[in-house]
Amino acid sequence: MGKVTFTILRFDPEKDKKPHYQDYEVEIRRPGMMVLDGLNQIRWEQDGTLAYRRSCREGVCGSDALNINGVNRLGCITHLEDLKTPVVIQPLPSMPLIKDLIVDLNDFQDKFFLCKPFLIPKKPLPDLEQLQSPEDRRKLDGLYECILCASCSSSCPSYWADPEYLGPSALLNIWRFVVDSRDVGADERLQLLNDRHGVWRCHTILNCIEACPKGLNPTQAIGGLKKALVSAKF
Amino acid sequence: MKAYQPKRHYRWHPGFVVWVLHRLSGLGLAGYLILHIWVLSHLMRGEAEFKRVMDTFESPLIRLMEIGLLGLVLFHGLNGIRIVLMDYGPMANKESYVKYLAVTFIAIVVLFLIGGAAMLQTLLIN
Repeated sequence: MGKVTFTILRFDPEKDKKPHYQDYEVEIRRPGMMVLDGLNQIRWEQDGTLAYRRSCREGVCGSDALNINGVNRLGCITHLEDLKTPVVIQPLPSMPLIKDLIVDLNDFQDKFFLCKPFLIPKKPLPDLEQLQSPEDRRKLDGLYECILCASCSSSCPSYWADPEYLGPSALLNIWRFVVDSRDVGADERLQLLNDRHGVWRCHTILNCIEACPKGLNPTQAIGGLKKALVSAKF
Repeated sequence: MKAYQPKRHYRWHPGFVVWVLHRLSGLGLAGYLILHIWVLSHLMRGEAEFKRVMDTFESPLIRLMEIGLLGLVLFHGLNGIRIVLMDYGPMANKESYVKYLAVTFIAIVVLFLIGGAAMLQTLLIN
């Protein structure tokens, strides 16, 4: 059924001083092949040294976020047929490289945990579950679906420029708890954000909404946080 | 040992291009502001000195550049309003932001043509 060329950024910290690109031929064996299928074919049949993250292969775990033809996407849900050839695959931009397509996500995850990604409930706790009206529940749509793949944050020029900026992903997750009617930790969360490394570093460049593979809207979430901070002040 | 990637870049899409232009026009306006204050500071050294400086800015080339300044002000101002609305309204949206961008640009071009034509007319008459 034809072949597709993959141009992949390679970097082996034990051998290479700096990253380089290597070409591979991937055979199209069935319709509907994804980029991840191509990477698996290379690793399993051609070059066992190629390193990349993967897990669920259906766009839920967020492990295989890659920069494919200049755009951040999930390898497992990106159709090879939709891409221009050669398919250029790079690790997520701006993140420190560990090996090949694997980047260091420690800083990204630290920022996520900094935003207290858990429900801070009203005390005393109710005896049974905490109920929420359907309207309040609907406010969480488009927020709770974040899979922490780092596509948005690594596409953001503000995130590249300011190592202390929390980034679109962490901010979206803060907003997810601030709008939750069961959560009472809004104030302590908002306190984290009201400086130049917090929400005000967002310049609405919109790379994050272009990048998000789940179709979420971090810019709007950050807008919500900005509004909450302004209305808390006045 | 970790390595840093050779380049940090991302696909150029309308939102990104406009952000770059907004930054550049901001730099241009900051440069103009410094020049403006420098010229005005000559007022402290008396009328003759101020007149001498102002005369150098009366050349047709500088007047032509003033039309460009109008363009910078219009772009930076109106696009700034768009950015504020994007922060505080529901305009940050993958499907519709290009539409709002188009409206902003039409407004900028229309105002620039009206203002620029008037400025050009005074330039040609004098």
